[in-house]
Amino acid sequence: MHLSREAIVESLQQIVGPDDVITDEAVLVQSSVDNFRKLQNIFDVHTMPVPAAVVMARSTRQVAEILSFADEHGVNVIPRTGATATEGGLESAVADSVIIDGSAMNQILSIDAYNMQATAQCGVPLQVLEDRAREQGLTTGHSPQSKPVAHMGGLVATRSIGQFSTLYGGIEDMVVGLEAVFPGGQVTRIKNVPRRAAGPDIRHVVIGNEGALCFITEVTVKLFPYFPENNTFLGWTLKDMKTGFEVLREVMVSGYRASVARVYDPGDAGLHFSHFVAPDDCVLLFMAEGAPGIAKATAEGIAAIVAGHPECRKVDSEYISTWFNDLCWDASKIIAEDERIRQTRNVNRTTEISADWSSINEIYQAARARIIEEIPDITMMGGHSSHSYINGTNMYFNYFFNVVGVGPEEETTKYYLPIIGIICEETLKRGGSIVHHHGIGKARTPWVKDEYGSSYYILETLKHAFDPHGIMNKGTIIPK
Amino acid sequence: MSALRILVSFKVTPDFEALREADWLAGAAHDAARGVETRYVRRVLNCFDESALELALRLSDARAERGFATRLGAFSVGGRETAPYLKTLLALGYERAARVEPEAALDFAPAVTASIIAGYARQVDHSALLLLGCRSGPGDSGTVPFLVAEKLGWPCLTQVIEVEPLADDRVRVACMVDDGLLRVTLRLPCVLAVGNAVVSQLRVPTLTDRLARRDKRIDVVEAADLGVDIAGELSREPCVLTGLEAIDRSRPGVIIGGASPREKARVLYDSHLKSLIEKL
Repeated sequence: MHLSREAIVESLQQIVGPDDVITDEAVLVQSSVDNFRKLQNIFDVHTMPVPAAVVMARSTRQVAEILSFADEHGVNVIPRTGATATEGGLESAVADSVIIDGSAMNQILSIDAYNMQATAQCGVPLQVLEDRAREQGLTTGHSPQSKPVAHMGGLVATRSIGQFSTLYGGIEDMVVGLEAVFPGGQVTRIKNVPRRAAGPDIRHVVIGNEGALCFITEVTVKLFPYFPENNTFLGWTLKDMKTGFEVLREVMVSGYRASVARVYDPGDAGLHFSHFVAPDDCVLLFMAEGAPGIAKATAEGIAAIVAGHPECRKVDSEYISTWFNDLCWDASKIIAEDERIRQTRNVNRTTEISADWSSINEIYQAARARIIEEIPDITMMGGHSSHSYINGTNMYFNYFFNVVGVGPEEETTKYYLPIIGIICEETLKRGGSIVHHHGIGKARTPWVKDEYGSSYYILETLKHAFDPHGIMNKGTIIPK
Repeated sequence: MSALRILVSFKVTPDFEALREADWLAGAAHDAARGVETRYVRRVLNCFDESALELALRLSDARAERGFATRLGAFSVGGRETAPYLKTLLALGYERAARVEPEAALDFAPAVTASIIAGYARQVDHSALLLLGCRSGPGDSGTVPFLVAEKLGWPCLTQVIEVEPLADDRVRVACMVDDGLLRVTLRLPCVLAVGNAVVSQLRVPTLTDRLARRDKRIDVVEAADLGVDIAGELSREPCVLTGLEAIDRSRPGVIIGGASPREKARVLYDSHLKSLIEKL
């Protein structure tokens, strides 16, 4: 028998105390969605079931008790920390869900400069950890645009990737160990070691679970020496994305590890670089960093490769460094963007995929052409590649549309989901992945079985094994 | 009856928000005569001009609902960086787009800028209503709208936040004044200097709109053809940038202590908010 909302709240209050169980209606309504339904949030139109409570967890023990209670009574829980999700992973899919908020678990437990690793509770903002590391001449190497607002637990839970990933890797390459709590209250710690060959790498059961298997309470990540004085920016304009992808491939295959390696199509370049590019220009840019010899050799190696493509025209590096220094989102930018949307009903959305070098340009061209052709009211359709690997790269589709003739609650069904659908279809058709770094959330679950193919068996079995009663973030990753 | 011709003059400025404090300090310390280096930051519409451009579109829409015809024009004193914005405005329904590319930088040269805008409005555009932002970025004098009005011999209203149609040749305008909101009815022609309007964002054209109007031309006008001698007028400008100085905007703060959010909220209320609320 399901518990009433009042009974759920009362039980939570007994676990964490009344002050840490939030039942304010405005908070609950806001907590029913994430940025996937940002238009609804901006216009204060809400259609998702309202959670029973937001509970502020302050310790691993409290998280364990909450999950034990939820598992026993079949209460759906949604783990969150910084609440910056974009794919519906924080939406309450069923009524009377409980949001477990870990943002109050915000202590940096250690910065170990000798073993080059830092341990932080789940609610530590990445910016705070990064600032503390830099005080010792170190860096996490992780720098998503959400760095000022995202927290460590959420970043690990969503398999975050940062702007310097081509050198430092994604968060999965940085996490050396962690602590997580599973349904029933089982606390597990994965120890911090450089590497081990002791069976499957169980970190990956937790990393990227999106709150659908467990709640991450603590993470240990690698640290790297920080040499900002050696950062070298390089930029070129060129006329087509195909050449841009080809240059990225040559750089990666040649073994040069720029921390930033990107190519922007003309639409996306127009948003960022209109002060120095022509309207039909693509922009290719790199940042080399590290110890002096490494940064110098990397920059020179990349420049030599680009020189083999005479259609690429060099631009003043200062344009690139100035742009890069203003790239991260902070609260003021988010507020300004919300106001722009409120007045214009012009919405910016993004969808990121990955594919091998043979397919990426085809996916980009096909998806872009179909979206312009099939979706109404598009005001900009573009994108860029921003994370490259030896065998391929990603494509970050960046698009804007005017919401016309429908209310905010229908924006996802009229525009956003059909666009995601086109991108996923064109990607799957060519063997790519429908999600490069934002997570599946709830938005991309319609395509998750096609994404996994026969390996969906492993994913589904994990879910059944660790969450047998289905209380963890219902509808996320695994379709409801 | 002929259509009302409205002209909006706008400026494309560096995105000063994208400059770091170090950029400002470098400008102050090393190159005061030239000012802060803004070449490398992206360009944006001056925010007050953006309001003016959207208000003009809304006025045109509202006039159309009342059966009054309107023809919108967009104008800028600036280089090629203005072209993407003029293209956007054409796609949004502005029927005329023009720019004057000055042969010298016109920062801190309000009289020259005003001469060009007034010259274009009178001699080329023949507009009866001119909207422009009340000021632009840092270092701007805020005098351009007044100087334009003076050169045209038209009345000028400042801190305009709303414009609505009243009759074919009249508009009703709301302006912020020291102690409230002033609503006046204006017979045209006039200059409206747009202030801190609620409408602050320009609508966005679709790709279809852009395609439909892609062949519309941007006119590039010579200042000399408007009777403006830029070099001569610049030599008579009374304002010269002599230096930059950082203003300390830091404010004292208090970190509120307490064992729980409830306790912290209580301290905040008792020590700060309560007295403010009582004054209301």
